[in-house]
Amino acid sequence: MYEVFEHTADLGLRVRADSLDALLVDAARGLFSLIVTNLDQVKAVQEKTFRIDASEPEYLLFDWLNELLYTFDVDQLLLSEFTVRVDARGLTATCRGEPMQPGRHEMDHEVKAITYHGLKVQKEEKGWMAELIVDI
Amino acid sequence: MKLEDSQPKQNKIRTMAKQGFHGPLERVNDCCWRIPKSYKTGMRVDGLIYASRQMIDQIKGDQAPEQVANVAFLPGIQHASLAMPDIHWGYGFCIGGVCATDPDEGGVISPGGVGYDINCGVRLVSSNLFLQDVKPHLRKLVDELYRNVPAGVGRGDKYKFNPKELRRLMQMGPAYLCDRELTTDGDLDHTEARGCLEGAIPEYVSERAVERGSGQCGTLGSGNHFMEVQVVDAIFDDVAASTMGLQKDQVCVMIHSGSRGLGYQVCDDALKELRGVPEKYGIHLPDRQLACAPINSPEGEHYLGAMCAAANYAWCNRQLLMAQAREVFARVFGRSWQKLQMNLIYDVAHNIAKLESHCIGGGDRNVWVHRKGATRAFPPNHPEVPEVYRDIGQPVLIPGDMGRASWVLTGQAGSMEQTFGTACHGAGRRMSRTQAVKQAKGRRIDQELASKGVIARARSWKGLAEEQPDAYKDVNTVVDVVHRANLASKVARMRPIGVIKG
Repeated sequence: MYEVFEHTADLGLRVRADSLDALLVDAARGLFSLIVTNLDQVKAVQEKTFRIDASEPEYLLFDWLNELLYTFDVDQLLLSEFTVRVDARGLTATCRGEPMQPGRHEMDHEVKAITYHGLKVQKEEKGWMAELIVDI
Repeated sequence: MKLEDSQPKQNKIRTMAKQGFHGPLERVNDCCWRIPKSYKTGMRVDGLIYASRQMIDQIKGDQAPEQVANVAFLPGIQHASLAMPDIHWGYGFCIGGVCATDPDEGGVISPGGVGYDINCGVRLVSSNLFLQDVKPHLRKLVDELYRNVPAGVGRGDKYKFNPKELRRLMQMGPAYLCDRELTTDGDLDHTEARGCLEGAIPEYVSERAVERGSGQCGTLGSGNHFMEVQVVDAIFDDVAASTMGLQKDQVCVMIHSGSRGLGYQVCDDALKELRGVPEKYGIHLPDRQLACAPINSPEGEHYLGAMCAAANYAWCNRQLLMAQAREVFARVFGRSWQKLQMNLIYDVAHNIAKLESHCIGGGDRNVWVHRKGATRAFPPNHPEVPEVYRDIGQPVLIPGDMGRASWVLTGQAGSMEQTFGTACHGAGRRMSRTQAVKQAKGRRIDQELASKGVIARARSWKGLAEEQPDAYKDVNTVVDVVHRANLASKVARMRPIGVIKG
């Protein structure tokens, strides 16, 4: 589950999930929900896999979202379905979506970057919580 | 599926975000406030914030002054950690922050002191049209600009550069576009640094950044970027205005954009490369977002080479945006842009770091001046001011919001004495984006603007709602402070009549 929270000039994303795998899935959905208003209309017709290595959960989340943002910027690929498996070194992910079609997809924000500002990934009593701010 | 049931946590975080500054802020004069270096162990210089008494309470409302104090920790920092009156909370550095570091004193370079949008900046283009000439065609003009200038998420398809061409473009800046007849000598003369930082090393720009930038040169982007048709609303300095060719009711075009995905990626790459680097050089930082490297280090040199290349790309981006505006005007008014005298008045960067010579402690020294949301404002007679403006000082362009005003000023001597030749860069946001959208619920911002004589075009209702005039502070109060502090002097107030947003 994700929600958007306030920040003076940009936007914050707060995510909660039962597992780190699910947290990374929801964070990815959260990111694309800022880019396209009708994320549910993005069809899963194209597939892309990712491998990300990182030493700590914060960097894993950061590098994961950064990779997705880069993929969107270069391939204009909107992603809406994610399978993520975290292991000792990082994560492996399979993502599905389709190329952006401005007529059908309601484009919202241009996310410039994921920032380190207030970036946190925490294990809580019941699952995981993450917060991050994206530069708009 | 959005999380609706986390109110307590949400409130806690909102409170954190709003947490104010409780450290010392001593009055220096009516326009300047000091955070003494005794505030925190590790501060090498004082913090100085330029603001009026009325502004200072609001400025204390968030952590921006703390960020001014934190920047004072940076090795090699000279004079003071400075902030302009449009200061607000940023990432590591506050927006509106200025700091100069001396390489000979172990000075550092910090990507956070430049920002993600490297060489985000503003240009102003004149014309020989007046309000009465444009008014009957305004709707058509704005529609045509909106149709022809790529804005919003994604890329354009008008200008294509292969990776080799792109690297050349990053080396040369807009001069590279002369062969394609998209830049004139006059344009170069009226661009800060003639649109080319010599330290550019395009080979240091990653493949990823090149990929992101290849289809985006000549596109506006979104967020607070814009292209506006403006009229000269009031003139405050007749001599400076006439030197720039500005007259009351004259129509101009203002463009606000930066280095697009290429610059964001350069910043991103640098922040990744700098993980662990401050520790390697024994640099103690109070906030990891101040990540930096000594200027004279492989890491520092790598970022500087890439940053300068991205800055040159940004100047090309604004050059191509201007070229498209010129084409549209020529079509709508049936005359070439040359006949319409659509000359570049000036182009300034407001997110950049530059090697400049400044008088420090009685002697001239070369320092890297970081301007993060701050504009260069060199005074009359400065050798880097174009000859035509040598008597009046460098034009300083301050964009406001889409309903009220933007400003043209000229740099003044006080800027060299106080702020490393720097003034403010804009109004600064008053409301968060979510707050602005909530506040606009049930309203038609485009119609509200139309009733004030402003035709605005944006991708969505939400885009306009986020950028509505009320979401910004009043730019006039910001400009008043830099004027009174003798950093820059008022020349003309511009009023928007047509707005293109991403």
